[in-house]
Amino acid sequence: MRWPSCPRSAAAERVLHLHPARFDPLAALAEWQQGLTAAGAEAPAAEAHFIGRVRGRTASGAPLEALELEHYPGMTEAQIERIAATITSRHGLLAVRVDHRVGRVLPGEAIVLVAVAADRRGPAQRGGQELLEALKHEAPFWKREWSGGLGTWVEGNTAF
Amino acid sequence: MIRVRLFAGLRERAGWGEQQVPIPAGSPLPTPAHLWRQLALGETIPPQVRVAVNQAFATDDQQLQPGDEVAFLPPISGG
Repeated sequence: MRWPSCPRSAAAERVLHLHPARFDPLAALAEWQQGLTAAGAEAPAAEAHFIGRVRGRTASGAPLEALELEHYPGMTEAQIERIAATITSRHGLLAVRVDHRVGRVLPGEAIVLVAVAADRRGPAQRGGQELLEALKHEAPFWKREWSGGLGTWVEGNTAF
Repeated sequence: MIRVRLFAGLRERAGWGEQQVPIPAGSPLPTPAHLWRQLALGETIPPQVRVAVNQAFATDDQQLQPGDEVAFLPPISGG
């Protein structure tokens, strides 16, 4: 049994990190995977990962200097936890990890990592996609694009 | 008192990020919609602005209690 100490739905481990400075998504993934197989547990059969990076252009096509990410301390974490718990339950996920930047993020830097583990590719891919979309629309983050020394709040999300 | 918070573009347009709003004794408990008008943020809460009470999404007609924290959230753009 993959999660010997508790039933699968209760055992699903959810990890959230908000990073005020640059983070390495591959190092975060490696740490998460090591945690999943700690104490000799078998690695999950299916994982889905998404890494989002800041593009070098604003929504209007101008060169981007930086993206500023504001959040609502306390609610952002609580809301991500609620989203992750709902999607974990809906898809029977085994584990979830979300890393998200806050503060000033430069083009090319990672802004988000979503990783989910499941027993099958379908729940892993569907759960991962649903989690990412929920983060984009239901977790309180606000982006401001800085270009030419001017900051513009982004209202809404980029195309899917 | 009720703590009212604004974020991102809403905060910058209003020129403030946080206010403590007293509830006079004997007056009816306000809703987020009442506070929006009382704080001169506008006549009605625009449909794209979401309301949170005590750090969870809420409706704009929820009756507030002393000590509650109300936040008005402009359109979210995370991920």
